[in-house]
Amino acid sequence: MNTAATHSTTVPLRDPAQVMRLARLGSLHQSRLSFMRILTRRIAREGWTFDRPVFDIDAKGVGHAVLSTHTPDRTYSLVAFAHDLPADMRSDRVIAEAWDCTFTLFDGVPTPDDIARLSKNIPLQEAGRVTGSELSVSRANRSVRLWEHVVSSLAKGQQPDPEKIDAVGYLMRTTAVYGSGKLGAADREMIADRAEFATPFQVEMLSVFLTRAFVRDLVQHMANQRAAGDGKTAAKLDPEIARSMGIGNSTGLGMAPFLLNHPVLFNNWVAARETAIARVRSVETASADEVAVFRDVFDRSLHSVGHWHSEHPIQVKKLAALKADLDALENHITTADLSADYPWNRLYTWAETHLGVDAQECLASLILEPYGALVDDLADHMAADNTPTFRIAGAMTLGKLSEILQDAYGWAVTTDWKQPDNKARAWYVSEEKLEPRLGERFEEPIEDYEQPLAPGLDAATLNQALAHWPKETSVAEFLLRHPEYRHIVRRAQIVGRAPYAEIRDNTISKDVLPIDMLRCKLAFFGAVHFDPRSDRWVRICMYGNAPFPEEIQSRDADLWVYPDGKEV
Amino acid sequence: MSHSLNEIEAMSKRAARGAGLSWGLAEEAAKGTRWLAGYGYPGPDLLADLLELNDRLPAIDFSPTSLDGLWRAPAGRMSPLIAGAAMSDCAVRMLDGQAITIAEVSQPLLIVPFASGAALRLGQPVAVEWNDVCLTTDGKQLCVQGAKEGVLTTHTSEVRCSAPAQMMAPTKPVMRANVTDACWDRLGAFAHRTYAPATEASRLLGAGAGLNDND
Repeated sequence: MNTAATHSTTVPLRDPAQVMRLARLGSLHQSRLSFMRILTRRIAREGWTFDRPVFDIDAKGVGHAVLSTHTPDRTYSLVAFAHDLPADMRSDRVIAEAWDCTFTLFDGVPTPDDIARLSKNIPLQEAGRVTGSELSVSRANRSVRLWEHVVSSLAKGQQPDPEKIDAVGYLMRTTAVYGSGKLGAADREMIADRAEFATPFQVEMLSVFLTRAFVRDLVQHMANQRAAGDGKTAAKLDPEIARSMGIGNSTGLGMAPFLLNHPVLFNNWVAARETAIARVRSVETASADEVAVFRDVFDRSLHSVGHWHSEHPIQVKKLAALKADLDALENHITTADLSADYPWNRLYTWAETHLGVDAQECLASLILEPYGALVDDLADHMAADNTPTFRIAGAMTLGKLSEILQDAYGWAVTTDWKQPDNKARAWYVSEEKLEPRLGERFEEPIEDYEQPLAPGLDAATLNQALAHWPKETSVAEFLLRHPEYRHIVRRAQIVGRAPYAEIRDNTISKDVLPIDMLRCKLAFFGAVHFDPRSDRWVRICMYGNAPFPEEIQSRDADLWVYPDGKEV
Repeated sequence: MSHSLNEIEAMSKRAARGAGLSWGLAEEAAKGTRWLAGYGYPGPDLLADLLELNDRLPAIDFSPTSLDGLWRAPAGRMSPLIAGAAMSDCAVRMLDGQAITIAEVSQPLLIVPFASGAALRLGQPVAVEWNDVCLTTDGKQLCVQGAKEGVLTTHTSEVRCSAPAQMMAPTKPVMRANVTDACWDRLGAFAHRTYAPATEASRLLGAGAGLNDND
């Protein structure tokens, strides 16, 4: 399933029953194996170059621009359309129909004909169509709080207020970045054999990386235009301030089912990170340099957590616990002997008994930092080709299937599903915008439309259904009588081979927090500063403190995610 | 209109579910439809035809009564999706030289993607034959012998699946497909049945509006 997972380590990989709980998945932190950092490392390593062949935007901020990047073999271009959006039409919700800016990542350099075609489709987003030449479709809205402040400050010849910058962290936030064939775009199979897209979501990460550069250019352009209107010259945005800002992102429920709908892919992400953690915990002795790298990123990550804001009660509580735990960890590290044998395993084991899951996962990511040479190869094992694993192994006996159910879904088999609280929710797709939603099973007329996103309940039902069948009967015979179990039998067989494929928790209980699934996925992207806005949508910041395209060779293209504490 | 294969799979899955198939079969129908479309065959049209033919009828009526001997469906016509899935489940039998023979099959081409999955699992090409038609796949490529009309027949009296088979003049899949608006609408009508009608409550609660999103 994941060949990297077979690499032997002294310390074993963590038990899926421990890792795959929602509370822990919802407390994951970015790491060396996050998709943004994998991309920026590659850009620097391969010496990608950048240019901006078109920037045709008027004083009102309407027009288009093209930002291109040249890899050793190919060119990719972000085609950006800027709009003059009335304030009352600005919404991050997926049901919005207009945005401040809309984008596509084009495979190559677009011709004027391409631009003309795209200009009729990209601004419409879901209502438009694209072709196999387009790799992604996305849009972004201004942060109302920050955009006007930055434009007006610069237009007056001043720099924006660092406190205001820090309070928001970005000038625009994307509200959807579609790839993999959405709206007619290129399927992943069309580009999966390109080295730069071997890791998942690299198209989307590249699109956002270029979007951030465009947004910086656009805010400067708007300030210049406004100043010129007053017969003045605008200030140039301080590069340090510009760099401190990332691109925001609002992610809603639509993304939550992704982890359930792509079990092999999800397994490979988690298995890569778990393998990396096990490899580092198996390191016998740490050099002084390695310890120094760890201490440095630890201090910088304390600084980053200090800039993490949220008003949501759940996150406020989590943040307080994380900060307290990181203080305790800081005290422990001051006295801990990192020159003893298995220092990282000792440290992690201490954290498991003294700290909450949020800080445990933060530490688990941080100990990877000194060991790029040991773990970065795992980035090449995070993609998945579902084709070979999709078919059910019909020759398996029901006895073997039952063993998998007891092992991987033990929690579900022992759950009392007659208790309404244990299945209070149901996932469904609404007629409007065809987006996944989560409803109240016993209060709304949605059960008939339920999506198969409750593997725990499905597994428990299957376990009951096969209880009276002979153990030696084949899965093929059973499924001939019970085709309704094909979905969960397939999942169970996948998790039998790919132990991190399944969330081992209840996805339909009255207490389920979809933001846990969102954070898990976004942490793999490399996001920081998760800011839930309800139990089912979250804001994040991407590429904050990252070098801009023209800086990527001259600045740190990897550890940028940890601000050094001196900036801004 | 040119569609991505992902779009075809997503639409087919919803359509198959809307026509009454279990989620598991709907997923397999969708992968199969995508697979055929990737080889330039009108998978979405064939699926729409089949869903209309067996719309909301009990799956058991079009399923093999037994996996021994010649597979027959009680209703006298076999669903290629159910039989294809069962054939894939029983793939190891074919390695022992035991062919799987299926009687009275609707839209037999819809069985072939399941042979692709079986071939990947077996590591051996699988052949699917009916009348003067033989399609062979190793899971990555497809060989077609026989006239297009025969390949696209709506019904055949007998389909024979066997392995290992010889791959002659194989073709690789293409990555785009054209689906007519009419076909898309037919599938869309089935898919529509899987969508919960929107209510103001679901708009607010279901997507979790929460705090102001325009700041």
